Amino acid sequence: MTPLRSSASERLRLSIHPHETKLASLLLVLGIALAITAPRFFSSVNLALLARSMGVLLIISVGMLNVILAGGIDVSAGATLAVVSVVLVRLGNHGLPASVVLPIGLLTGATLGAVNAALIAELRIPPIVATLGTAGLFRGLLLEWTQGEWESSIPPWLNAIGSPRWGGLDASVLAAALTVLAATWILHRTQIGRALFRFGDSPIAAARIGISPRQPIYFAYISLGILTAIGAVFYAAQLGAVQGNAANGYELTVIAAVVLGGADILGGRGSLLGTFLGVLLLCSLQQALVLLHVATFWQNIATGLIVLLGVILSSAPRLHRKLLLQQSPSA
Amino acid sequence: MTSSSPASLEKLVNSQSKFTKRIMELRLSGNLQPGVVTLLVLFFCIYASYRSGDFWSALNWQLLVQPLAEAGLVSLGMMFVIASGGIDLSVGAIVGVAAVTAGIAAQHKLPVQAIEAAALAAGMLCGAFNGLLIGVLRLSSILVTLGSMILFSGVALALSNGNSFAGFPDGLLWWNDAALLGIPVEFFLFLAIAAVAAVLLHYTLWGHYVIAIGSNPIAARYSGYPVALTLFGVYTLQGLLCGMTAILLVARLASARADMGQSLMLMAIAAVVLGGAPIVGGSASVIATFVGVAAFYIVQDGLLLLDVPPFVQYALTSAMLLVAVAAGNLLRGSREDRR
Repeated sequence: MTPLRSSASERLRLSIHPHETKLASLLLVLGIALAITAPRFFSSVNLALLARSMGVLLIISVGMLNVILAGGIDVSAGATLAVVSVVLVRLGNHGLPASVVLPIGLLTGATLGAVNAALIAELRIPPIVATLGTAGLFRGLLLEWTQGEWESSIPPWLNAIGSPRWGGLDASVLAAALTVLAATWILHRTQIGRALFRFGDSPIAAARIGISPRQPIYFAYISLGILTAIGAVFYAAQLGAVQGNAANGYELTVIAAVVLGGADILGGRGSLLGTFLGVLLLCSLQQALVLLHVATFWQNIATGLIVLLGVILSSAPRLHRKLLLQQSPSA
Repeated sequence: MTSSSPASLEKLVNSQSKFTKRIMELRLSGNLQPGVVTLLVLFFCIYASYRSGDFWSALNWQLLVQPLAEAGLVSLGMMFVIASGGIDLSVGAIVGVAAVTAGIAAQHKLPVQAIEAAALAAGMLCGAFNGLLIGVLRLSSILVTLGSMILFSGVALALSNGNSFAGFPDGLLWWNDAALLGIPVEFFLFLAIAAVAAVLLHYTLWGHYVIAIGSNPIAARYSGYPVALTLFGVYTLQGLLCGMTAILLVARLASARADMGQSLMLMAIAAVVLGGAPIVGGSASVIATFVGVAAFYIVQDGLLLLDVPPFVQYALTSAMLLVAVAAGNLLRGSREDRR
């Protein structure tokens, strides 16, 4: 059993390889184009800015990758991000110390993730419907709590977290790097991480080899909740002000980054390297368009086109798998 | 279960089997969710009318059915999309593109028919773009429409340059002002389109194809069904309905903006699901979709009259979606695949 599984995971890793090569070459093309049109892009100041803009998105994207690997989706991540940011800033402004506020923030994120997981695993509501509902629920309750008011100042310790150090980089870059390292270890070296791939590929097959039908769902959504909470710390710290409508639609950017990274929306396929490249591509595209003084709506158009291009690029292995499914008699 | 006498045990078994049989019958009777939702909404109406005298006033219902008709049109399109096993996240952006197109047409002093045709054509073009990628290139609908949502919202902003349009001719505003027997004409348009949708769904080959593709795309392909063409039609129809919604929205608000239809996407998906359609596709009902949309707007309106704060209304309607789907799942049994 064991050698078979490891060989299957080898194959899996090999088969997602081509997409990352395509993404990397796309990045290379973008890089060359930028080197010609806007050489300022590669200045150290701008690269540090790029790294800072990637931090929060990368942290939350790793969580979303877990969810998509498990065959789910979460459109409530933006609402969760807003809830945790407001909780952090409000409690901090009431004078509570960081050592109390930060654990409460993480706990809030984990709880909201657990609510999603419970709706999906226990009540068997399809993920997109469940998270659609909780997105409205979280956002509505948050707006009622804040009454639409801005928290226009943040506590000094939170400000310190967001301020640039280490040559223009801030703590979010470090946190993102640690998150990716930890996720690499968890996804590939621990039982629950490997179960996530199996479960996402086929819940029935996973049940046959003894993987619980609930555990991967709880793990995926709670990890997304916690990572969203970590992201919220830096989100609030970098913005310096939050309100109930913050991060509206952010979940779609996160999903776009993960999908651009080649993760299969049906679950079971995806990689951290791909997700990293997806985030890098989206962020550097946006940064480049700002540098080139392009109007905002052209940024939307370019982002939409890049996402569609990523979907077309990643569809080749998916079609291949469909053919395999059709050939096997049991499918 | 601890009964010792055989007679009582037999009775217990009998009663239990009768009970399970009744449950089975209930489950076999198909989609119960519209019934459950209608019942819940009726209870809510009784409570609302008890608490607020305005609830049954004609004016309230006149104001209520206009946004209901707009969301209803998009929901009908979404019903076909979801029945075909897909999802369309770009509907709000398409409404924005169509509304802005109508605004540009009005700026050029075109006749009313030309403005309407421009909005419908813009919507259809966006829908056809989705349909091409999803039907012909066989890409995943959620990913394609995620990308095209970002793309179309950019297009709408680029077309309008971020401005809003006003100064529409009276002929277009007729959609908002006209009423028949005191009922706004928008609602009749919605009913007419719903009837057309029902005919398309139940009496045409295309409707049959949509359901077949939604229940098993591989089987549909093997059966020689025109999968690509059918899906292309589904998304183009959705685009057309978005264009229609844009006209109604523009008429009601007497202005056009790029971000006009933003809230419609979630509303349309929620309405179809609230009506009990499985999100995995393969099943659709016009009446269930109607019940889903109507439930949302009636409850929202009732909460407004009950002086519930607007943000709590938003949270409560979302909670209603979760409760209705969970209840429908429990009634239906949990055999179905979650995806």
